[in-house]
Amino acid sequence: MRTDLRTDVLKGAVTGQWKSVTVASALGAAHQAGEAAVPLLIGVVIDEAVRTGASGRLVLWIGVLAAVFVALSLSFRFSLRSGEKASHQAAHEVRSTLAARVLSADGGAAHGRLSGELANIATSDAQRVGQVNLALPIAFSAVIGVLVGAVALLRVSWVLGLLVLVAAPVLLGLAHVLGKPLERRSDAEQDRAALASGVAADLVAGLRALKGIGAEATAARRYRVTSRSSMEAAIRAAKSRAWLDGSMLAMTGVFLAIVALVGGHLAAAGTITVGQLVAAVGLAQFLLWPLSIFSWVNGLLAQGRASAARVAEVLAAPPDVPPGSSPLPSPVAGRVELTDVVSGSLRGVSLTASPGELLGVVARDPADAVSLLAVLAREVDPAAGAVAVDGVPLSTVEGSALRAAVLVAAHDADLFEGSVRDNVAAGGARLGEALEAARVDDVARALPDGLDTVISARGRSLSGGQRQRVALARALAAAPPVLVVHDPTTAVDAVTEVSLAAGIKRMRAGSTTIVVATSPALLAAADRVVFLADGAVVSSGAHADLVADEDYRLVVLG
Amino acid sequence: MRELLATASAARTWAAVGDLVRPRRALAWAALLVLLAGTAVGLLTAPVLGRIVDLVGAGSSAIAWPVVVLVLVAVVQGVSTAFGTSLVARLGEGMLADLREKFVERALHLPLERVEKAGSGDLTSRVTRDVQVIADAVRNALPVMARSALTIGLTVVGIAVLDWRFLIPVLLAMPIHVHTVRWYGGRAVKLYAAQRVAVGVQQQQLLDSIGGAATVRTFGLAPAHVAQVRSRSQQAVDLALRGIRLLTRFYGRLNAAEFIGLAGVLVTGFWLVGAGTASVGTATAAALYFHSLFNPINAALALADDAQAATASLSRLVGVTDEPMPVLEGRVRPADTTIKLAGVSYSYVDGHPVLRDVDLELAAGERVALVGASGAGKTTLAKLIAGVHEPTTGCISIGGVELASAERSVALITQEVHVFAGPLAEDLRLARPGATDDEIGAALARVGALGWASALPSGLATVVGEGGHRLTVAQAQQLALARLVLADPPVAILDEATADAGSAGARELEEAAARALDGRTGLLVAHRLTQAVTADRVVVMEAGRVVESGTHEELLAAGGRYAELWAAWSGTRS
Repeated sequence: MRTDLRTDVLKGAVTGQWKSVTVASALGAAHQAGEAAVPLLIGVVIDEAVRTGASGRLVLWIGVLAAVFVALSLSFRFSLRSGEKASHQAAHEVRSTLAARVLSADGGAAHGRLSGELANIATSDAQRVGQVNLALPIAFSAVIGVLVGAVALLRVSWVLGLLVLVAAPVLLGLAHVLGKPLERRSDAEQDRAALASGVAADLVAGLRALKGIGAEATAARRYRVTSRSSMEAAIRAAKSRAWLDGSMLAMTGVFLAIVALVGGHLAAAGTITVGQLVAAVGLAQFLLWPLSIFSWVNGLLAQGRASAARVAEVLAAPPDVPPGSSPLPSPVAGRVELTDVVSGSLRGVSLTASPGELLGVVARDPADAVSLLAVLAREVDPAAGAVAVDGVPLSTVEGSALRAAVLVAAHDADLFEGSVRDNVAAGGARLGEALEAARVDDVARALPDGLDTVISARGRSLSGGQRQRVALARALAAAPPVLVVHDPTTAVDAVTEVSLAAGIKRMRAGSTTIVVATSPALLAAADRVVFLADGAVVSSGAHADLVADEDYRLVVLG
Repeated sequence: MRELLATASAARTWAAVGDLVRPRRALAWAALLVLLAGTAVGLLTAPVLGRIVDLVGAGSSAIAWPVVVLVLVAVVQGVSTAFGTSLVARLGEGMLADLREKFVERALHLPLERVEKAGSGDLTSRVTRDVQVIADAVRNALPVMARSALTIGLTVVGIAVLDWRFLIPVLLAMPIHVHTVRWYGGRAVKLYAAQRVAVGVQQQQLLDSIGGAATVRTFGLAPAHVAQVRSRSQQAVDLALRGIRLLTRFYGRLNAAEFIGLAGVLVTGFWLVGAGTASVGTATAAALYFHSLFNPINAALALADDAQAATASLSRLVGVTDEPMPVLEGRVRPADTTIKLAGVSYSYVDGHPVLRDVDLELAAGERVALVGASGAGKTTLAKLIAGVHEPTTGCISIGGVELASAERSVALITQEVHVFAGPLAEDLRLARPGATDDEIGAALARVGALGWASALPSGLATVVGEGGHRLTVAQAQQLALARLVLADPPVAILDEATADAGSAGARELEEAAARALDGRTGLLVAHRLTQAVTADRVVVMEAGRVVESGTHEELLAAGGRYAELWAAWSGTRS
């Protein structure tokens, strides 16, 4: 099945751009024919004009040469443009399709893959799939080039023609066989050579950590060792490649010498003219290029196939959970009910959040919190038991209805590139209230352009505490019937934390809110707190009452 | 205000290149001579072919010797190219290694204040992109340029030797080459710079959207994000295609030059042969010479913009290597680790003080927790004591010695944690180079990390960080604390070291931090007030001033700002 999908990806890339690919192929062939004609024409000019002194012939053939140059130049220009367009545009389509699949509500595409890896598939692999559109026209024009060259040579002399057509592939085959081990070694060394730049970037990325413990000199010393071994590897890689190039150069020269020897004897015997000898040598040289292009094209196609397989794997990933189809009652009252839920580390949890309740959940083991959030967000369905909203099991609810009803704001939710205001507004309409409740007004005051300050990708230009407050504001602005927040204040100072707890309580009045956290400031604001330990509910009650319990106190107040 | 790191002038950049070549003068000469010899020998091919043409034109088939010469030429040319290119690689790689080592050493020693003023992206782009651009130029462009330049130069000499009159058409083609390179260079640099930016933006958008896929799904933002990805990808594609259009126009101009030169050589040959002053073989050789110039000229000219980009990158690296190294000699060893701040004020921007008139004393071995709202000046105070910034007014001393002239004895662990790529044990050895496995194990155990560290796939030898085994934020923070234990400074400052770990992780980290601080003078920027409870003393800051100071119990009893905060935070009135 995977092979089929891989073929589909490749086929789609080519057929989606078939016009450009066709144009590139046709013009590429024309360009090759033109390149083959240049040495032929040099021979013709020498034969018909230089040797005879006929100036009319000179003007004629120089005119033909000019026409050939115009044709080969223009056909090269538009062939390359069409080929590159087909390549880039196909890569763009693959990239867009991948992004749509990864971000689609079904989920599951990212399973077990780091985001850097996925981004890499969407850039490098998409590009390699697209490059198939560049490889195909080049392969086609190389075939045409070989054909034109071969016919021309055979017309000059079938002996010379056969010699070149047999010897050139043998020569290239030999170079390939000789080159393989050298190339492999060179590639391996090149990877090692790249290490120096990687390590340097890593050290600079960790500059603060290094300076914090005064390890600058140690790091510089260590870098020197890496840099030296990278240098040795790079030199070895370059050496392998240099000898590969050198032996190729020598073999080509010997090949030309043989052509000259055979052609010279034919010319001396009068079988061919001197001009044809010149043309034959030129053609022999020309043919090496289209012949050598085949192994390169092969490499591109192999890369394209491997990349298409990686793309197909992401596109074909099954969704995290089977989609449901039932609607939820409208409006959603917000009664959340877990009945004997077994999932992850949870071993039979039953709890209920009544409509409008602010429920605190304290998990002694962080794994319990993670498992609870996963079933509430319906990233997984419980192995046993049920999670229901207003009496409807989550596993049967239609996807978009569920997302509109229950919002699970993860502890590590990401911010996106854009202004602070846009980030919060991405949640929903209750912007002003949310900004105030999450104390984003304070954050904005410390930023150069206030709410309009553009924050860098994933909010890295904000401090941890600022990031958390913007993310909390976004969740509050969404104002869903059921809001679940996880550890929303861990990076915020104690003074602000107290104010955030009040903000959440104020803004969520009348809507169901579940706060999964161990911060006493948040729990003190909750209507009721449920205490989870060892995957089960241990106790439930007001925070002020629960602190009497030694276990609870230890988790919440340390 | 951004104040980018220095960029060297053109003269200074070339002087720096000279400094790099000087110790390798012999190697440089050897490389040049070998390549020169190989290229010169290679030029014999065309006249020998011309000789064969003349011989067979005269009806002779005694061409064995010229063919043997062709074979010898091929072998010598192959060997000398291989050998010469290897020498060029040895030269280039050696210079590159010297340069990047000097760069990294200087970069690591730049004062943090300087790096922050420039924006950390400045240094990062120099160490990644600029180093890469130069490495690519050394590996790909330099050998091709060297060989092409020699081939072009010697071929022109060869044509002149055949018959100087053949140089006239060659010179006719030259102005087109010169013009084309100028025309292309100016446009290409700008276009490729725009293209790199567009590709970077596209990559960033992908990382942003894919990295935040869970959030995108939670808030139903997929349509907007897919549209963003599409538009940024299309922008990058459009720029790439514009680059291709420019490139094909560049080659079109070179084609014109090729035609003019080749036609000119053929016409010249026609006249010279007709006038009886040159043989058909000479005319053939001249035409073949010129035809064989097509590839090296295209190769060299196509690399002209790579060379230009490499020069620009080089000047940015040399700018940093020319920064002065900080003076580390002659610093005084403080008598003890008492830290004293007297009347310290600090402002990042004139007239907007972040710290006002702070007096604070940390006794040797005392652990102080710093409490206050964001913006109260906690982090700035921590940075001043760590020596990252110098106070605008007032004085900080350690053991009676002014901080700036004291031997370094303060470590600072900040919120930005970094796991160094490589084996875990090597990451820790950055803090203590000769540390034994036992010492490393003990340090990990002290911060409660030995359990998970030993359970990694290859234990302490597991490759972590970028491209290796991914550690959680909490684990990375434990590593930072383990480094602190190994570095063993008498004074340590922990700023927001537990912030990102989630509540349960935060508690473990608090305990780890407390153990890492044992036996040191410690300043702890506290987020959870539980950290304040266990400290020897709590210092409360508000708007850049110290407003309260005392033990947890004392401050609760005093019923001031801290007591109020504790009651609200813990939700208890006990």
